[in-house]
Amino acid sequence: MASPRLRLTLSRRQLLLGGSAAILAARSARAFGQEGAFNPRALTTGGVRWEGPRVSGCGRWAWELVRRTSAPARLVPSHVAADDPALLAEPFAVWTGDSDVAPLTAPERKGIERFIDLGGVLVVDDFEPGQGTFGRAARRELTSIFPETPLVKLMARSGGDIEQEHVIYKSYYLLDRPTGRVEGPPFVEAIVRGRDTQVIFLAHDLLGALARAPDGSWKFPIEPGGAEQREYAIRFAVNLAMYVLCSNYKDDQVHAQALMRRRGRFQP
Amino acid sequence: MSVAGISITEDLGGGAVLGVAALAAVALVLLVFELRSRDRGGLLVVATGFVGVALFAGAVLRPAKVSVRGTTVGPRVVVLVDESRRLLIPTSDGTRRSRALAAIKRLAAHFKDARLSILGFGEGKASPLPARDDDHSSLTTDSDLSTALSTLTEAAGERPSSVIVVSDGRLSSPSSDAVNPDALGKLGVPVHTVKLEEHAPADASIRSVRAAGAAVAHQPLALTVEVGCSGGLSCRSIPVTITELGSGVDSVVLATGEAKIEDGIGKVELEVTLDRAGARVLQVSIEAPAGDKIPENDSRFLTFSVTRDRIRLLHLAGRPTYDVRALRRWLKNDEAVDVVAFFILREGNKGEDDPNADEHDLALIEFPVNELFTVHLPSFDAVILQDIDAVRYKLTEHLERLTRYVQAGGGLIMVGGPSSFGGGNYAETPIDAVLPVEQLASGEDYDPAPFVPSYTEAGRAAPITRALRELLGDELPIMHGVNLLGQARPGSIVLWDHPRLKAGPAPMPVLALGEAGDGRSIALAVDDTHELAFSEFAEKVAGRAYGALWDGLLGWLMRDPRYEAARVEVVGDCIAGEPGKLRVTRLPGMRGAIDVELDALGLSKQPPVTLHQDGKDAEVELTLPKLAAGGYTARVRIGAAPPTRHDFACEPAGPAFSDSRPDPERLERIATVSGGRSVDLDAIDSIPVPTATEIAAERHVAPVLPPWAWALSAAVVLGAHWVSRRLSGLS
Repeated sequence: MASPRLRLTLSRRQLLLGGSAAILAARSARAFGQEGAFNPRALTTGGVRWEGPRVSGCGRWAWELVRRTSAPARLVPSHVAADDPALLAEPFAVWTGDSDVAPLTAPERKGIERFIDLGGVLVVDDFEPGQGTFGRAARRELTSIFPETPLVKLMARSGGDIEQEHVIYKSYYLLDRPTGRVEGPPFVEAIVRGRDTQVIFLAHDLLGALARAPDGSWKFPIEPGGAEQREYAIRFAVNLAMYVLCSNYKDDQVHAQALMRRRGRFQP
Repeated sequence: MSVAGISITEDLGGGAVLGVAALAAVALVLLVFELRSRDRGGLLVVATGFVGVALFAGAVLRPAKVSVRGTTVGPRVVVLVDESRRLLIPTSDGTRRSRALAAIKRLAAHFKDARLSILGFGEGKASPLPARDDDHSSLTTDSDLSTALSTLTEAAGERPSSVIVVSDGRLSSPSSDAVNPDALGKLGVPVHTVKLEEHAPADASIRSVRAAGAAVAHQPLALTVEVGCSGGLSCRSIPVTITELGSGVDSVVLATGEAKIEDGIGKVELEVTLDRAGARVLQVSIEAPAGDKIPENDSRFLTFSVTRDRIRLLHLAGRPTYDVRALRRWLKNDEAVDVVAFFILREGNKGEDDPNADEHDLALIEFPVNELFTVHLPSFDAVILQDIDAVRYKLTEHLERLTRYVQAGGGLIMVGGPSSFGGGNYAETPIDAVLPVEQLASGEDYDPAPFVPSYTEAGRAAPITRALRELLGDELPIMHGVNLLGQARPGSIVLWDHPRLKAGPAPMPVLALGEAGDGRSIALAVDDTHELAFSEFAEKVAGRAYGALWDGLLGWLMRDPRYEAARVEVVGDCIAGEPGKLRVTRLPGMRGAIDVELDALGLSKQPPVTLHQDGKDAEVELTLPKLAAGGYTARVRIGAAPPTRHDFACEPAGPAFSDSRPDPERLERIATVSGGRSVDLDAIDSIPVPTATEIAAERHVAPVLPPWAWALSAAVVLGAHWVSRRLSGLS
């Protein structure tokens, strides 16, 4: 029988062996087995460049995923324009901003529509949820592309008619609510098409919680505060990534009983 | 035989004859009245008067001599000989059939002056017996006398004067409680019967096997087995066993029980669960007591067509990727698929991955590998191993069980990735025996260079890829690396191969299919098929290519007829020792010669029988050799397309032997109801012969006298009458 052999993957072992995320990413990018790795690509619109203090947040998102889970990820995520055919290269992108956005051009609208129609998942992260300007603008643009699908609130526990219990709160960690740089509302809003949750609107500045400074410190302080909140923000980011990679796997019956018991809701 | 006579007239009607007679009578009465006034010579007047009137009447009517010459033919007698295979049951002096043939000879002698038609009856209308006594090709399971008699009634032409039935009386129709004129075809003639056997042999047999409903995979099916015991055999309790036959594996006992025999009959209900869909062959057998004279009916080989309500899949993935995501989404969106999935989300529970959380904060459950493979494996129709390391996740110790599962009819798909095939430590394990490709145990596990797979000839011909090729033609997306594999195993079919890499002299397989025992397996050496679901390439056909590919792969794995190259069926019953027919129907687009490999189910040591048929006919019937009793599998290959498999049973004697008891009482009732006579073989001469039938063949007509002679004679006599009247003083 063949002896067990370790594989070169973008897992935690690679992180430890390689010592440098960037080097590892460059070395393994597009290698066998990495084509399907999680890649938190930034979506850009209106010719806006992908830059700013939160750019490192995407890389940290991938790094945390690799460190904490078995999922492979691109440690130096790319960015892609909404009207670029490369948007269809992978089924995930994150659209971020802190202010109003210009109305999407026809090619951008078409690009996003094709992305969603094929089954892609888009996370919209508002860097300034207190103002909510970007969030409102993104909702305006996306709901105009998919007018037939009303927004629903996704919660850790089901509520009213428009509040759904959702697998993003248990896709890896058991979470009670979404969290980011700011605590934000205890839910996320989403466009759900058929069985698939395809656009998730965050009002928590998730990349803000993940962004790192060049000296290795966290770029932004947490509001209202604490390392614990940042940890929960990281966990929520991991859950979002796991949802993208595994879909509703944790909704399977085989997991349901054990997870309900852990949440303390199991009534035998 | 001749009859002669005189006809008063040949061309005048009855009215004219009466008119002439009335006129003659009036003339004679007037003559007698006139004679009172005569002077003399009355006698001559009377004589000439009467003769003259008679001749005049003769001149009008012109009587003729008529002679009729008749022909006598023998009566039409129909002999109906029971053509059921049951008549092959042995007797003290041969078989019931040999007695039937002897009866035919005696009947032919006894009815030597009759027009004898000897027909056979079994299923449907009566038909002529085969020319040769040892020709068993026309033998049937049933003995349907009612239908045979009905066809005699409905046939145009002369009806028989009597019918003689030669049988042992164990008829399918009429049943013993339905012997009446209606059941005998309303012929209205005597039906005589010749009883071939009057005593039941010492025999324990499986009378019937009945299923309560249709067979559905994974669901219990109740089978009621009726066991009979007759001929003085000592039976109290007879053990019954049901086993399932598979290809290349030993038979598996599904259920056992005992039939308690009371008044010669007993029943036992056994519950079996068939886990594999498609044609499955079961053997139902009894342990007959000593003294059983007919061992052929101690076993039945039955083919069950097992359907499935849903496909139950076990999907195991070593890590979550977009390829895992695509497959899961596709599986979950198919209402016909019931998927149980386990994805490894954290590598090891001792710190390889560091979730930075307590266990109760994690939504993770332990991968129940032992429970899955030791308890639940048979309940799945197929297993998908996707990029999961066999050693790290403790699959190694279960690979032998997984191999047996496939050989017993399960499906297996190994999807590529760094931890698949050799890279996942599957090489040189028992799983080698069921994968369609050889694995490499040493050297590099994969080649990272991008490539586009090429369709092979089989890939272009296979119905599996038809839907995909209808969408994309020969085009496929770029794959970013491939697991390195060896050659395809003998009998495997390669659908995609590598444009540059070789495995031995041939291009390296990328997508290959194979049969392993009763099961099927697929090796897919890439982890990029999600590019067919989500990519710029996929967007050309709205992502439908992914479903087209996986529909075909899973459909073929589950033996969905839509993805087979041919439809295969056995024509009629397959009976051991008798030649049979295998009908092969090409599905649209399937071209090339037809090659069949016929193999016995179970651990057969015999080389398979091969059949070959050239041509383009859409439907062909291939003659099967004489087979022994048991289960068989026919693998039919059309051209380069993957083979289609059809399992079937060949019975020792079939249901015809299920009840060996003769039923002479029924034959006697048939004779009584119809006014016939029931005799045994030695009393055939006592059957009454119907009277011969006379057929009028010739009728000769000749005038007594020519018309002119009547007229002349009448004129002369009436002239003499006039003279005599004058001489006697009359006017």
